[in-house]
Amino acid sequence: MDLDDELVTSIPIRFSNALSPTIQIHQFPLLTRPLQAPPSAAASGKRITARIKPDVRRLEIHVPSDTRSEVWNNDRGRELGAARVDDDREKNQEIKSKHENDEPRLNEVRMRSEQIQQKGSHMLGIVRDGQLHLHPISETHQLRPTLTYLDILSRKKRSRGVGSDSDSDDGPPPDPDDPVPAAPAPKKEKKSSGEAREVQVTARRAEDKGLQAAGGLSVARREMLIAIRAEEDEEWQDLEFCDVTTGESEETFERIFSTNEEVLESKTDVTAFLKDIAGL
Amino acid sequence: MADNAVPGPSKAIGSLTKRSADATTRQGNQKTKFIPVLPTRRTKDQVKAEPTNETVPPETTRGRGRGRGRGEGRGRGRGGPRPAVEMTASGPFAMGPTMAGNNARRSVPRSNFAIPTPTSDRSSLGAGLTRVSAAVIKKENELKGEKIKSSEEDEEVYSDPDEGVEIVDMENVRQMDWMAPESLRKERHVKKKVKKEEPTDPEIEAVAVEVDAANALDLSESEEEEEFEDLVEHFSRQEPVDEDPSLREERLYFFQFPSPFPEFLPYTPPVTEEDASVKKVTFAEDTKPGSLPGSARGSVAPSEATVDDKAKEPKTVDGIIGSLEVYRSGAVKMRLSNGILLEVTAATQPSFLQHAVCLDIPEHRLTVLGEVNKRFVVSPDIGSLLTAMEISEKNGPPKDDTRMDVT
Repeated sequence: MDLDDELVTSIPIRFSNALSPTIQIHQFPLLTRPLQAPPSAAASGKRITARIKPDVRRLEIHVPSDTRSEVWNNDRGRELGAARVDDDREKNQEIKSKHENDEPRLNEVRMRSEQIQQKGSHMLGIVRDGQLHLHPISETHQLRPTLTYLDILSRKKRSRGVGSDSDSDDGPPPDPDDPVPAAPAPKKEKKSSGEAREVQVTARRAEDKGLQAAGGLSVARREMLIAIRAEEDEEWQDLEFCDVTTGESEETFERIFSTNEEVLESKTDVTAFLKDIAGL
Repeated sequence: MADNAVPGPSKAIGSLTKRSADATTRQGNQKTKFIPVLPTRRTKDQVKAEPTNETVPPETTRGRGRGRGRGEGRGRGRGGPRPAVEMTASGPFAMGPTMAGNNARRSVPRSNFAIPTPTSDRSSLGAGLTRVSAAVIKKENELKGEKIKSSEEDEEVYSDPDEGVEIVDMENVRQMDWMAPESLRKERHVKKKVKKEEPTDPEIEAVAVEVDAANALDLSESEEEEEFEDLVEHFSRQEPVDEDPSLREERLYFFQFPSPFPEFLPYTPPVTEEDASVKKVTFAEDTKPGSLPGSARGSVAPSEATVDDKAKEPKTVDGIIGSLEVYRSGAVKMRLSNGILLEVTAATQPSFLQHAVCLDIPEHRLTVLGEVNKRFVVSPDIGSLLTAMEISEKNGPPKDDTRMDVT
């Protein structure tokens, strides 16, 4: 940097952790547009909803689909919807629908969260009134659409295919699943084997610690299974989803800002700061 | 709908859209023909219309997205789609097109600008979408015209459409329907490096604009080129700009600091002398890198750190921790108390949507605070760091045990 570099502006940085553990970043890697219900869905009263399993930190945001017939294949939607119902049942997350007799439809996209490890310490910054306000971000999540119902669908199709070999596989099944079958197969096995082994797991655990070479893989696998099961066992809790346009958002937004004029002192000095940086 | 009006591309897109496209096109919407029209090169006067110099000092509302502020500033009115030649698919599963790029458009704290125009219009139009081919675009344009004054001037002029054929600028496909595929941004290669070097200087910029008028617009389209200049823009604003009051003024930034973030304590806790020393207020006064007393530090610091760690979690920290400095060279630095100087640089901007949310589990509420508009990386300023270390090594070593260990 130039030594004679001139200072143009200087604005105060204010820090607040008033909302501290609650501020998160949600990334939507597959979304390049704002997250909102399609106008057609919104017009019919559908809203984005969210639910969470707090213990496993799994969050889902459900965005209604645009089901105008111009852009939506209704038949396919039903087919997938039915698959999703099965999927839900399997995952112990059946939705107790108010309209029991409703035909299952795929009427929403479920964005499911995956926690991302944060590198460094993340801050949310907002410039207001010529001041930069910082607020720590506690967690980062990425949300992507879940398509697990496709597994169900293709599994169904597969078993159907096995049952009646002579019947052509390609009769009823729709195209997009053709590439899929390979993937769900191992997944299914894993799941079923996991369920079957459920009892053994605890028993084996002690032994496995002894013979790690043999147990290595299964340890990892068991952890996975445990994680999966923990997730499946936990109940979803519904969340109220407040869009940016809501008053709640406004309110919360205001709370981010630092209100204290006090100048804070750091006890870390620059070299100590450097020294403390993890990974240096 | 877009698929209907644009059979050509949708066919080319392949399996993703296949079903929806087929389904709809089979319903007899094949009449339209898609005729891509490349926009002509922007002319000079358009460039002049954009007050590039002003983009630096005043708030440029760029965060708003192209919809508003920038749009006007840049002489390009549209909030919606950016130029594009290619298209990506959207299927029933896709929330929309899975295309990378247009994040600038979305940088909207609170608004629908980011969204393809039709959103609001569409809800009503949605029903009639099917068989409107020619009318749709027209209508869109009208609507748009009402909303955004300057946009019309930018519309390309096409020859009269044939019967039943609607000529749609490929870049505008996005506007045709909410579900319409997003257009990829047209790549514009700019050699504006010159500008990059001294982007903050209005004079130079002005010169640059004149010299390179043809490219000036391109500059506005190129995210990367803008980045540097933006960095300054974001922070140089001192007064709020008069804008649509229904919109939130503030943009959200994401800062990645080195971890751990320095801890901060209230400067003057109302305590007795003894407490003060324990609270390290005395230390705080002495913390200039040059004058480390060490005495207080070596003994008190360790125990204190633990105390603080315990106390810190529940404790709310609130206050001023330093200042952000913008230099003429375009450098942005954070000077935190205690002599910590950090350099702020623009980080890689993800092309996708990022929300800052507040997740209140006890209240069962997930509140979206807004979209993150820009990411910055904050790293220690090496120059000052070296100096500080030098000084501290000169003064510190004999007394400062804790620090020596690690250094």
